Amino acid sequence: MNVLEIRSLTKKFGDFIAVDNMSLSVREGEIFGFLGANGAGKSTTINMISSLLRITKGEILVLGRNIAKDAKFAKSNIGIVPQDIAIYENMTAYENVSFFAGLYGLRGALLKERTEEALDFVGLGDKSKSLPKNFSGGMKRRLNIACAIAHRPKLIIMDEPTVGIDPQSRNYILNSVRKLNRMGCTIIYTSHYMEEVEEICTRIAIVDHGKIIAEGTQDQLKAIVTDTKNVWIDVRGRGAENYASDELLHIPGVIAARMDDYTIKISSKGEINNLNQIIQKLIKDQVEIRSVEEQAPNLETVFLTLTGRNLRD
Amino acid sequence: MNVIHVAVKEIKSVLREPRTLLFMLAFPVVLMLILGTALSNAFSNVTSVGNLTLLYNDVSGQPQLTRAWQAFAQAIGEQGVESTPAEDGQDGRERVQEGEYAGYVELRSDGMAFYGSSWRSIESNILQGMLTAFADRYNLAAAALGSDPSKAEAVLAAADGDAGAAFIRETALDPDKSPDSIGYYAIAMSTMIALYASVSGSHLFRSERTRHTAIRLLAAPIGKGELFAGKVIGCTIINLLCVLLVVLFSRFVFQADWGDHFGLVFLVLASLVALAVSIGLGIGSIGRGDSAGSIIMIFAQIASFVGGAYFPLAAGIGSFIGIVSYLSPLRWANMSLIGMIYLDDTSSVWPTVGLNLGLAAAFLFVSGFMMSKREAF
Repeated sequence: MNVLEIRSLTKKFGDFIAVDNMSLSVREGEIFGFLGANGAGKSTTINMISSLLRITKGEILVLGRNIAKDAKFAKSNIGIVPQDIAIYENMTAYENVSFFAGLYGLRGALLKERTEEALDFVGLGDKSKSLPKNFSGGMKRRLNIACAIAHRPKLIIMDEPTVGIDPQSRNYILNSVRKLNRMGCTIIYTSHYMEEVEEICTRIAIVDHGKIIAEGTQDQLKAIVTDTKNVWIDVRGRGAENYASDELLHIPGVIAARMDDYTIKISSKGEINNLNQIIQKLIKDQVEIRSVEEQAPNLETVFLTLTGRNLRD
Repeated sequence: MNVIHVAVKEIKSVLREPRTLLFMLAFPVVLMLILGTALSNAFSNVTSVGNLTLLYNDVSGQPQLTRAWQAFAQAIGEQGVESTPAEDGQDGRERVQEGEYAGYVELRSDGMAFYGSSWRSIESNILQGMLTAFADRYNLAAAALGSDPSKAEAVLAAADGDAGAAFIRETALDPDKSPDSIGYYAIAMSTMIALYASVSGSHLFRSERTRHTAIRLLAAPIGKGELFAGKVIGCTIINLLCVLLVVLFSRFVFQADWGDHFGLVFLVLASLVALAVSIGLGIGSIGRGDSAGSIIMIFAQIASFVGGAYFPLAAGIGSFIGIVSYLSPLRWANMSLIGMIYLDDTSSVWPTVGLNLGLAAAFLFVSGFMMSKREAF
């Protein structure tokens, strides 16, 4: 059964098309990775699923019901974990979860029970009477999740839930996502951390310029780019500062080249051997080469090959 | 139920903001104390008048007038007016100008001339009033003398018999009860802080945007109307509570007079808070970003000033500010409350409440319309 079905979805802001005739489906029990660089259209899509934005064209079905006709049903079955922490700093953790759960119609003993359950789930049961302004970034992120799950939604949309937190909190959140999934929740997960997506997502869609350019399991996505090879070159030196990696696109066979921190990530057509030309070009540009490494296909190389961009662009 | 749920959260949220509470409670109370004490003289109905001193010079050469004057001088002497005959060659007007006397009167054959002191105007006016009464009485006696001399004697004798009643009648210049400084500022500060609810109103939805909680609120299965109503009701209740605390504080700590019409006072204040919240919400929904907050602050300051929050603008103001002052909601509320508390006049209460609530409904409609057009808040 499809928990979410998007059919020919389009969103325009004036003349700008943010989402362009997008179609996809998310099946019950999946952890669905939704990948795209900034401005690719994923947040706009998520906002339309959450009824925060009006649909220009197309339709969205949640648990088989059109959200344009039955928004209340869709909203009742969706939990949102926004990218920005969305809590009231001057209300206790308990009051935050209780208030948001109350908006979903929970009252009295049931509200209390679900609030405590959600706080326990994210490991904040003993902090229920504390104000979030005294919380660490990781604890706030966990509270952000608790506020989205107390009403036991069938579909949880998590938009960058691990931004800016320590590895321990990140692991806690990733484990929570798996646990929620085991409890029967379907999850749509967006992240700039490719390794997170690789670790937890069962199926992935890559969005670029408002369109889904690839969709499938990790293996299916990797299979798309078997005819490409990926080289990562670790660089330093004065020439490496703000290196214009687009210069490398003039070299025959190069499909995509992006600078990520001090690593130039290059995708080339598999049948063309152009490594010598790439290295010569870098030396000419006064870039100091520290190491050259050929990458086996992974989500990041798939993303780079398909979009020509880094996920963090 | 959702409306109550949202309203309760709104109240709780403000109660957790010490800075907001401090502003809403301490600010008006401190201003009440400072302005009420500093400007207490401006509100006093009592003016102390020192000894009334009158210099006179009888050059009429008419024994009848001289006799009548002496009777008058004796009568007003009993009322505390010290009348002194001018010495030969003495310039009475000069002595008055020097401030030695409050007035100088010259009794001539063709009438009486009075010179008052310009800088002891109150005393001078009192003396002038007494002299006018004397002149009327003497003219009456003179007229009677022409037809029946015995009646003229009777007229003058009446003056001797009841001197106080004949020349001085105690008439209050302002028979109405009016507020003292604390009483005035208790009203002015309470209405001013009610108007400052507009600042809370402008933050109502803007703060949800900046806290990112707007996403959760809009993603929840409750209507925008319920959210809107809940937030407006919650904001109005908590601001009204603050205003009522200021009222109670002024009543029991500063002994300010709030009259006997407690229900109507509450109604005027409640309608003013509702209007203020709606104005804030309306401007907040039209303006973008921080501009709305700045506009509201400027509006609240100007409306407070022209509405008489810092000092009454009833007298001595230019016609422009005088007209503008009637556009301030504070002005309507203050006039209505002062009339009700000090004159027992409740006639302006219902027009004020009606105007406040009518305008509140208009602003709510504008902000509701703007919100429905927006995709997010």
